[in-house]
Amino acid sequence: MKSTEEASLTRRDFLRGTATAALAAAFGLPGTAGAARPGGKRAKVVLVRHEQAVNADGGVNERVIQGMLDQAVAALSGTKNTADAWRRLVKPTDLVGIKTNVWARLPTPPELTEALRRRIVQAGVPEAAIRIDDRGARHTLADCTALVNARPVRTHDWAGIGGCMKNYMPFVEEPPRYHPDTCADLAAIWSLPIVKGKTRLNVLVALTPLFWGRGPHHFDPRYVWPYKGILVSFDPVAIDAVGAHLLRTKRLQHFGEDKPIKPTTHIALAETRHGLGVADLRRIDLVKLGWAEDVLI
Amino acid sequence: MQRLVPNEVQGWKAEAPDRAFDRKTVFDYLDGGAEAYLTYDFRRLFSRRFTKPGDEAIIVDIFDMGSSNDAFGVFSFERDSQDVGIGQDSEYAAGLLRFWKSRYFVAITAERETPASKNAVMAIGKAVAAAVRGAGTRPEIVGMLPSKGLAATSVRYFHTHSALNYHYFLAHENILNLSERTEAVLARYLAAGGKKSVLLLVRYPTASSAASAQRKFAGAYMPEARKAGVARMENGTWSGAAVEGRLLMAVFESPRANAARSLLADLKTQVRRKPK
Repeated sequence: MKSTEEASLTRRDFLRGTATAALAAAFGLPGTAGAARPGGKRAKVVLVRHEQAVNADGGVNERVIQGMLDQAVAALSGTKNTADAWRRLVKPTDLVGIKTNVWARLPTPPELTEALRRRIVQAGVPEAAIRIDDRGARHTLADCTALVNARPVRTHDWAGIGGCMKNYMPFVEEPPRYHPDTCADLAAIWSLPIVKGKTRLNVLVALTPLFWGRGPHHFDPRYVWPYKGILVSFDPVAIDAVGAHLLRTKRLQHFGEDKPIKPTTHIALAETRHGLGVADLRRIDLVKLGWAEDVLI
Repeated sequence: MQRLVPNEVQGWKAEAPDRAFDRKTVFDYLDGGAEAYLTYDFRRLFSRRFTKPGDEAIIVDIFDMGSSNDAFGVFSFERDSQDVGIGQDSEYAAGLLRFWKSRYFVAITAERETPASKNAVMAIGKAVAAAVRGAGTRPEIVGMLPSKGLAATSVRYFHTHSALNYHYFLAHENILNLSERTEAVLARYLAAGGKKSVLLLVRYPTASSAASAQRKFAGAYMPEARKAGVARMENGTWSGAAVEGRLLMAVFESPRANAARSLLADLKTQVRRKPK
């Protein structure tokens, strides 16, 4: 799976600037993000934030979330009308799977799942043709013709970031096969027939992200903050690259020094080795809408 | 391990059933966090959940790591706080108590920290530590680190290439020939200007395997060092490496060449006092 050139990449290659900005950022090394825009494939990621998205008690404001999702999907699709945007994403004949994440400490908010379901129904998909699952996805979502991938962004004890790419792990029979080298080849999952070409939308929930974790269950309430945002993209690599950038920026702000999360190698390799999407932040067009305070990125 | 854990503490009662996992099933429980444990000689995990009406749950996880070396190692993996006096080394923050004793690593987690849950977590920790018979020894290689300038909570003990890259990314390729048969310790040292140098010490099964690893590392990472032993990196810091018997020692991020050489010399002096 590895070419000789990839296998020999060292910390010094990053320092020399011979590796991509996304890789450098992934390792917490000096990078060139924000420098001149290089050529090559580009991707679009939309960030929408709203000050009232999360209530004082930590609960999610369902009405506000629906509005944020509508705004984000319309901006991503380049349409003014949310219904038009969703009709481009799913067809009435689709069997649609919403792939959520049920991690107890930071699950996909039910309010967001409901917002997605509501719009899919309005696009003409019968309610009976919508399935929602996480751990059982390999069985329950296997025959879906369209997938919507929605999960919260957080640091992950081994992969570095729990993002949209990693959310498809339940589609594989033996997850440990994708664990070597800190989950370097997670993107390979996206080439499996059970999911290949089916994903219509990725939603990375950044309402209350976890930017640093501890312990066997990798959670620490001190390192969760009310960012009150959601990210959407058609590109699972680009949305994870932006998510990792957000978590790293928050760590820099909070700790006053760089505390790299474990190598998020899989994001960079998703582009360079697997061709799944765009990992280089310089080639990602980030559209920011809504509440701008402490946006960080 | 069941006998190590009390059934009730300060109103928190054990909620049946207890759970147990091995190297194959631990993924079902730790949801992605298992790999770090599997880089060590992890054998079994015992988990008991405690509940109390009107309060959040407390979870006790006890890991049989096969040896005191690896119990210390997994404790060191993410240590960042001062000792709280439970077991052989410990730390507590935000509802999570971590400690090791003998061949066991223990993590006790309050799902929400309150004064009452903190007291209960500490009480359970003391009970578990008391129930573990005997004590283990810290890995000998850890004792070889020079004490001057050492950031004590930065010490990490591990075996594999994956674990090294987890703590300090060096290279995709395993240019130090690390494996389950090698012991490694990584630590940070205060250097000039408030910066921290990184020191890595690896013990190989034989002197020839250490020499072979040094040749591979030098060729891949700092070929320009040649006999000088140190080389300037692209960010202006200095790295260096040397071999002493079965031990390979390396310094990274040193602000000056002399500082890198000095740290290596201190390390050589220290390891010559210990069996190699």
